[in-house]
Amino acid sequence: MTSRAFAAVTFAALALVSTAHAQSLDQLRLIAPAAPGGGWDQTARVMQQALQREGIARLAPVENIPGAAGTIGLARFIGAERTRGDVLMVSGLIMLGGIVTHQSPVTLRDVVPIARLTGEYEVIAVPAASPLRSLQDLITAFKAQPGSISWGGGSAGGSDQILAGLVADAVGVDPKRVNYIAFSGGGESMSAILGGTVSVGINGFAEFAPQLEAGTLRALAISSAERLPGVDIPTLREQGVNVEFENWRSLVAPPGITPADRARLEAVVRAMVQSPTWRESLARYRWLDRYLDGDALARFVDAEEARVRAILKKLGTGATTTSSIVPSGAYPRLVLVGLIGFGLATIWLGRRSLGEGGRPETSSAVAPSASSAGAAPLALVATGVVLHLFLAERAGFVIAATVLFWCTARAFDHRHPVRDAVAALAISLASYVLFARVLQLSLP
Amino acid sequence: MNTLELLREGFANALTWPHLGWAFAGVTLGTAVGVLPGIGPALTVALLLPITFTLDPTSAFIMFGGIYYGAMYGGSTTSILLNTPGETASIATAIDGYAMARQGRGAAALTTAAIGSFVAGTLATIALTFFSPLLASVALRFGPAEYFALSIMAFAAVATLLGGSLLHGLFSLFLGLTLGLIGIDQLTGDARFSFGIPQLLDGIDVLILVIGLFAVGETLFQAWRYGRQEFEAVPVRGFVGMSREDWKRSWKPWLRGTAIGFPLGVLPVGGSVIPTFLSYTTEKRLSDRPEEFGHGAIEGVAGPEAANNAAAAGVLVPLLTLGLPSSATAAVLLAAFQQYGLQPGPLLFSSRPDLVWTLVASLYIGNVMLLVLNLPLVGIWARVMLVPRPLLFGGILVLASLGAYSLNRSMLDLTLLYVVGAVGWLMRVYDIPLVPAVLGLVLGPLAELQFRRAVAISEGDLSVFVTRPISLAFLLVAVATLVGPWLVKRRR
Repeated sequence: MTSRAFAAVTFAALALVSTAHAQSLDQLRLIAPAAPGGGWDQTARVMQQALQREGIARLAPVENIPGAAGTIGLARFIGAERTRGDVLMVSGLIMLGGIVTHQSPVTLRDVVPIARLTGEYEVIAVPAASPLRSLQDLITAFKAQPGSISWGGGSAGGSDQILAGLVADAVGVDPKRVNYIAFSGGGESMSAILGGTVSVGINGFAEFAPQLEAGTLRALAISSAERLPGVDIPTLREQGVNVEFENWRSLVAPPGITPADRARLEAVVRAMVQSPTWRESLARYRWLDRYLDGDALARFVDAEEARVRAILKKLGTGATTTSSIVPSGAYPRLVLVGLIGFGLATIWLGRRSLGEGGRPETSSAVAPSASSAGAAPLALVATGVVLHLFLAERAGFVIAATVLFWCTARAFDHRHPVRDAVAALAISLASYVLFARVLQLSLP
Repeated sequence: MNTLELLREGFANALTWPHLGWAFAGVTLGTAVGVLPGIGPALTVALLLPITFTLDPTSAFIMFGGIYYGAMYGGSTTSILLNTPGETASIATAIDGYAMARQGRGAAALTTAAIGSFVAGTLATIALTFFSPLLASVALRFGPAEYFALSIMAFAAVATLLGGSLLHGLFSLFLGLTLGLIGIDQLTGDARFSFGIPQLLDGIDVLILVIGLFAVGETLFQAWRYGRQEFEAVPVRGFVGMSREDWKRSWKPWLRGTAIGFPLGVLPVGGSVIPTFLSYTTEKRLSDRPEEFGHGAIEGVAGPEAANNAAAAGVLVPLLTLGLPSSATAAVLLAAFQQYGLQPGPLLFSSRPDLVWTLVASLYIGNVMLLVLNLPLVGIWARVMLVPRPLLFGGILVLASLGAYSLNRSMLDLTLLYVVGAVGWLMRVYDIPLVPAVLGLVLGPLAELQFRRAVAISEGDLSVFVTRPISLAFLLVAVATLVGPWLVKRRR
């Protein structure tokens, strides 16, 4: 098989990168609770590079568990990694927002904070051609008619919406009246801002920087306390809006780890943030060094949680929504009515046509005799599937996949049990080695 | 310097032996990892990027180009041979590609996919070379109203895929729409129909639905329908690939697929499902033999595969000119650029023209390499169909499991996969078409989201959809698609 040759090449190349340095830690898994490409994923991959290049960890595979502002990753992290001392997850302010907005059953109190790593200021900007010349113009227009100003930014309950709410609150407009348009991902919101679809955009400074340099966007304000050196953007505060805000990112460990594990993870992270590779990356991505650990970190997270909770309550995101102009209930109702309507009609017409002539309503001519002939093989496949699902987490992927393969093969032909078993084991082992060992994607 | 001179310099940079070697390595690795189920282009690029970090920027960029195109292409192979699409871009390919493979024409399907990808990739790269700034500025004029109208146009196109019975087609469509309701309402952050299960907050991944309905459903149906009956061996008509007839039927779909895929790929809210399916429905409409679609029409592979690769090149337009990552893969590429201290965007073309043009040149080269690499492999891949049926279906289920689990590393996804598979079996038994459900899941949430965004921005004014010219044009096309065939029929 040629793909085995490819795999060998892949393996050789990956090994070249990963084993170049002596180790102090054999393996440290990093979980990015977001899709590849976002801020959390970048943080994890920069860490991977720093840990491996500096020889702090021999291997630092990154796993992505995307969705719902990181709360899916958080739930899984708490459930599946409990007491494991060799794994860290990237977290941060946006996860706090997600926990409140999506009413997550688990929170950051359920994990062990290890360190705050980076921070990023937010910028409020408009397209170069916008009639809004300054923050004052924006605030005047916003106060006169809050709904006429549409604010574009990232996902609902995220850092961008939180800042919009804080600004509204500070200038005396009910945050519920912020006409916030949530976009998924940096590209989508940036194109809406550049194209003038929304009146004003909020995003991290690093994301806006190239557009600001090129002059396609005009910055109205930055959320830092004081002007940044070399950056000609006035702060919110100096323009009379008393808001200071930063989108921070941190690392957490699973619940139930031993104090020794915790101390080791903290030491590893401390060594990493002091490494030249990490420092170079900070400059490259325009991240601020916001390293903080221990009790100070715990206090900081608590304070931020209270602040986020308060402003999101005022904004009315999540289940408490009253701000949206178009109610979200109309479309789901329409769809459900359609499903039930067409479902009932299908069943009813299907029955009638069967009752009339005994003609099956199918055009692929399902022979009536086939249903009895096929019951046994179908049951065998179903058994394989059930065993597969049952065994996947208990006995591991290889055994579960072997059972599934063998049952399925037996369903189609029962004459070669040994051949089928050998093939099943071979395929399962090969895929396990390829995914879990070569590509570092974990399988149960 | 004009574009041609810059491009010539880019080629001069890229066409050295070491650089060609990196391009080849990139294409090979990209294809190899991209072929694996559940590992889409974004993850492929993310997994392989660390390899490039040890290289100088030029070599690294050349390898990026190869990895990117290789990963985009890799997904079609499992789609055609095993009915298991590895990424959303190759869903449309699976419909007729797998049907062709089962008729022993897998080699032809793979060949038309490879050549179509090459043709589309090259044409789209040419368009990218010369028209990027212009296209990007047009793309920025697309707001929520336009995207809503676009999704309505796509819905209208689905009408041709509803199958024999309108009722069955609509039932399938609404099944997909209902599944699309699950998850967070993006505008408010409100969780809908997630039943308190965190993994459902992000909705049901379209690949779970597709792999479940297509691969698992088909396996269950085959087991139930044919069971242990002796099965006539698949007549394999050689491994040479396309006949003269196939060529004649493929070249127009390649070009049309490119024309559909590239502009839609440029749009910042594109995704690859709409271009590939618009290409598929266009081919079905224009074909003299629409009845062959779904049963192994080569146009149904040639068009979508071309559209898929053209869209992949289109994604690079907003990325390079505006710094906008419009797909997950583009976001990973953007991060890679930043690793080298480069910021794609309006200033990149003037600040580092050497790198940009080397990258563009390497895209052309990567395309050629992809063809050179994959045409000889077609014959080997096509032999997969010679594997005895019991082993083939066993392998399909194991790959489906791997793919479903690798998407999010979630046991729930794995369980859902087999629940969906059982539904897929029932749908086959009762002759309910599968494709409308897939499109419902993709298009429903998009249409709803963009509609509500547009109305929120206009503060409740519904006229935005008809006062904006692009939006109006899409809506008129949608009406014409729905009413047109009916009018023609009546006149006859």
